[in-house]
Amino acid sequence: MAVRFPSTEFFQALQAQMNAERDRFRQLGYFDTDIGIRVHGDGLPGGGWEGVLRFEVFECVGAQQADLAREKVDFTLDGDLAVWVEMLRNIKEHGAADTAHSINTLTHFGEGLRCLYDDPDGHDKLYRFAESVQEFFDLAAKLDIEFPASSTAASAPA
Amino acid sequence: MSYLSTIDFFEDKSFVDKYRYTMRTGELDLSWMKAATEPAACEPQNPRRGLTFRDLDSGSYGFSEMPELIRKNRSFAPRGAEIPDGVPDLQAEVNRKSEVWAYNVEGYYEEAMSRQWNATTDIPWRELSKYELPEEIGKAYAQLLTFLTEVEMIATDVPAKWLGRLNADFFEVKNFIATQAMDEARHAEVFRKRALSTGWGLMRASVQNEHNLKFLRDADSFAEASLTLHLQAEGMVLTMFRFSEYISPTDVDKKLFRLVMQDEARHVGYGMQHLKWVLDHFPEKREIVHRHLDEAENFVFGGGYATEVLEPFIILSGKGMKKENIEQGLKITAQFNLKQIEEYFERLDKCGMPERRERSKLALAMEMTRAAINAQ
Repeated sequence: MAVRFPSTEFFQALQAQMNAERDRFRQLGYFDTDIGIRVHGDGLPGGGWEGVLRFEVFECVGAQQADLAREKVDFTLDGDLAVWVEMLRNIKEHGAADTAHSINTLTHFGEGLRCLYDDPDGHDKLYRFAESVQEFFDLAAKLDIEFPASSTAASAPA
Repeated sequence: MSYLSTIDFFEDKSFVDKYRYTMRTGELDLSWMKAATEPAACEPQNPRRGLTFRDLDSGSYGFSEMPELIRKNRSFAPRGAEIPDGVPDLQAEVNRKSEVWAYNVEGYYEEAMSRQWNATTDIPWRELSKYELPEEIGKAYAQLLTFLTEVEMIATDVPAKWLGRLNADFFEVKNFIATQAMDEARHAEVFRKRALSTGWGLMRASVQNEHNLKFLRDADSFAEASLTLHLQAEGMVLTMFRFSEYISPTDVDKKLFRLVMQDEARHVGYGMQHLKWVLDHFPEKREIVHRHLDEAENFVFGGGYATEVLEPFIILSGKGMKKENIEQGLKITAQFNLKQIEEYFERLDKCGMPERRERSKLALAMEMTRAAINAQ
């Protein structure tokens, strides 16, 4: 069944995929961080979607829509719907992000996604857990994703 | 063989007789069973995480109540053990907690142990055969890898040099430093392996950069070494690894840099938490820290902007050596240089040294870089 992006269901589907691949994530090591997700899009209800992913030990222990102004997170991955959709379509197409669509590449100069943070220690967690973060998003390759109609024109073909 | 036993046990009749008596009669001494230590039955607070050092932070075994000056233990006795008369004085050089301790050092150690990886088997080396890099890209990348191998070799030597000089009571720090030495050795390994798989091999060692590395190695104290290695140098190298992932020519290299940046970010975390600890507990050390950073930053500017370091970044980020590639590479590399210094200052802000931005000559480097960008 297709899961809509962005939505709590989408991120909970990623959470379920991660927790099903426990051995892989256990091999990558402790993964303790709270990540904010923000998707901007005129076509989305309220002009956008935001939520929180919580990781603890080897698992994703929380994935839900939330008001980021009220949540404590280490950093927030923030970007326009078109950029998120392009990244996810790229992951679907290649089975994992290619050289132009890794989280680090997209956030490095803030050209694609932005990594927002208040505390540089929290910011550095994106890098302390870089491979786990990347492999978490690469699990989107296993999902049947339904994108908003407004994202189609700006996105690469699946 | 500089340390000799004062007794030749093979020739010591009373020792040999006692050994033979015990083995013949089974009459045991058992005085060690009455060791003056606390009973302990530590359990994991979070069973999913396992039994961590934090779970052992209890009574005389713990680190929370460790004094600033370690006067009692000058031996290998593990913290909390009974220390009998006659243990050797190991003459540890670092016996002040404030010189080594960091908030959450026990957490960084556990994270390090759980996130170890293998440069031989965790990098998909075989996939490199799918890629053929243009000569200028291949050579620029090989030069970058040569530089990074040099950096990581000294980054291995520095924690290893200090490991045995720390008092045994700093158990968690010593273990963390041991993981760092392993991490850095793995980084030197992976960069050497990648350089020797580019088709070009190693390129040229960096004179100015090696002077910078010698400065790191020859720090007068562990506190100085940590300040420059963990916080300043590795902080800047962390930004460099992220930039290297950004400009990596293949998926294989992307993964390689993600794995090394994980380790580097952990070392930077220790460095930040150590400096915070120092400034929280010994604010009078602030000026000493500034003076050491003054010279460290001088070396950084000289080493980081050496041609054999700077030019590969320009070629790799511009994706070639045509005029338009170089122009693009200059812009991107200048942005990287600004980001590297800005993130360094952000970390110092967080540690409680916001005034560093005003004092540091790296602010001049930022102005020079911005002026160069605007002139393009």
